[in-house]
Amino acid sequence: MAQLRRQARVPSQPPATTTTPTPPPALDVRGVRKSYGATVALDGVDLVVEPGTIVGLLGRNGAGKTSLVSVVAGLLRPDAGRVLVDGVDIAHEPRRARALIGLAPQDTGVYLPLSVRDNLRFFGGLSDLHGRERATRIEEVGAALMLDELMDRRARDLSGGERRRLHTAIAVLHRPRLVLLDEPTTGADVQTRRELLRLVTNLSREGSAVVYSTHYLQEIEELGAGVALIDHGRIVARGALDELIRQYGSSALELSFTGAVPPAANVAGSRVTGTTVRIATDDPAATAALVLGGLGAGASSLCSMEIVRPTLESVFTTLTGQRLSREVEPAA
Amino acid sequence: MSSARRLGTIVAHELRLARHDPVSIMVLLVFPVITIAFLKPAFRPALVEGGFTHANGAEHVVPGQAVMSAFFIVSLVTFSFFSEHGWATWDRLRASRATSFEIIAGKSLPRIAIGIAQLGVLLIAGVVLFGLHIRGNGFALVPLIVTFSVCLVLLGVAVTALCRTAQEAGAFAYLGMVLFGAIGGAFVPFDLLPAWARAIAPLTPTYWAMRGMRSVVLDGQGLGGVGLPCAALAGMGIVFAFVARRRLRFDETKSGWA
Repeated sequence: MAQLRRQARVPSQPPATTTTPTPPPALDVRGVRKSYGATVALDGVDLVVEPGTIVGLLGRNGAGKTSLVSVVAGLLRPDAGRVLVDGVDIAHEPRRARALIGLAPQDTGVYLPLSVRDNLRFFGGLSDLHGRERATRIEEVGAALMLDELMDRRARDLSGGERRRLHTAIAVLHRPRLVLLDEPTTGADVQTRRELLRLVTNLSREGSAVVYSTHYLQEIEELGAGVALIDHGRIVARGALDELIRQYGSSALELSFTGAVPPAANVAGSRVTGTTVRIATDDPAATAALVLGGLGAGASSLCSMEIVRPTLESVFTTLTGQRLSREVEPAA
Repeated sequence: MSSARRLGTIVAHELRLARHDPVSIMVLLVFPVITIAFLKPAFRPALVEGGFTHANGAEHVVPGQAVMSAFFIVSLVTFSFFSEHGWATWDRLRASRATSFEIIAGKSLPRIAIGIAQLGVLLIAGVVLFGLHIRGNGFALVPLIVTFSVCLVLLGVAVTALCRTAQEAGAFAYLGMVLFGAIGGAFVPFDLLPAWARAIAPLTPTYWAMRGMRSVVLDGQGLGGVGLPCAALAGMGIVFAFVARRRLRFDETKSGWA
């Protein structure tokens, strides 16, 4: 997919001297590998993210999301491959590349003894923001994330959601070309989640590229983001949400029983996991009628039946053989 | 942005954090003053017996307690690194434009300044409050204080590099303070130490700091009296810097407090 996107940018005619050169992608990851001892975290990852777009990096815990974010941010050195941020190789020009990145790591990282304003001032200062420009930017970001009335409060005295907003504000303070948000809504309340999603949308409108690592499918759908599905350290699918659902999404009928799945429910296209059977089908209603009719006495052990429509969840299941929503409940 | 400006940003930030930690001021200044008040009379006989008939006890206790408590700087340095891990800000710092050198220097410079200020304030307090009489040139103590502070800060960076957890670093710094203080002659005068302790004392920074102090305060020497101690402390500082350079890994996961 990444290669197709690259090819799409190649001009159809030989470039003339007046042709404006194609701007580089905000992020261009090629063949990145990273292992921790015998454990392979990233197994040849390719990923291209264009300016002004949001890519939801979706995967289960341990799939490689945080490793990939860390490699892109320059926190981890890959064993192989290269990472270009806005055309700058992070391995060769780390400081120049870092200046283009805004990182909000998975764990909320703020200086607890300092006020919200002092936290923002410090990281603003490290990002070459000073004086009036920094003060203005702090006010803008504070307002965008509803921190404006908390500026003089110590981070220690903030609620979890307020800290999370400060954590994200630090990442976007210097208007980075590439924003890396690693599980940004983990533990966030409803309001914080809403504000963060709004911020991400606005960032992309302003031209920043956003890599939004999460395992909350619902957030990706709400953002209308492009999707990169990562599993066992590989990008297994990359594309627009609708495109992926059309390509990989499938309807299914899922039946759960109090005991073993009756043989009558084990029809063509079914997959049994414990006491649940999932039947892939283009016509779930007809399949339900067929299976229920065939259950006979086995119907007494049926405890639930669900028609699964094509969603990102079903795409994930099709590609990885696992359900993401079983691992984690959606954010509040 | 120039490296100097970024360094200045980190230094100002570290000083801001230090302001929120009043316990450090207690340990560095208040506790030694209290200890000096209690111990001063006990050391007068020992000094008089050693031939310093004019001494009132402050000539050993003030420098000794100042040097002992200055060792707390080692803890402050390790804390400044490990607290970043506790607050989960370490990765943010690494992902910023600041270089490794700027981060280390930005954390070290304020602690060097604190060490210099602490030793200076305690010696002045010794003169004003406890009748400390400096027989030699008091300004000769300036290079000694600076070198000792730099040496302690570099030791702190080396301890940070060697330890994986804040508890390890805290224990190491505390043990260093007590052991080096005792062996180096900050607790009791060097002449009263057992022979085995006197044999290994020159391996400690405390010994050289106390030797330089004694040269100026009791023996009445000037810059010439602190030359060798300053050189020894500088040499130890280079060793600590070398250890830190070899062992400090910025991508290492450490368990910190916050």
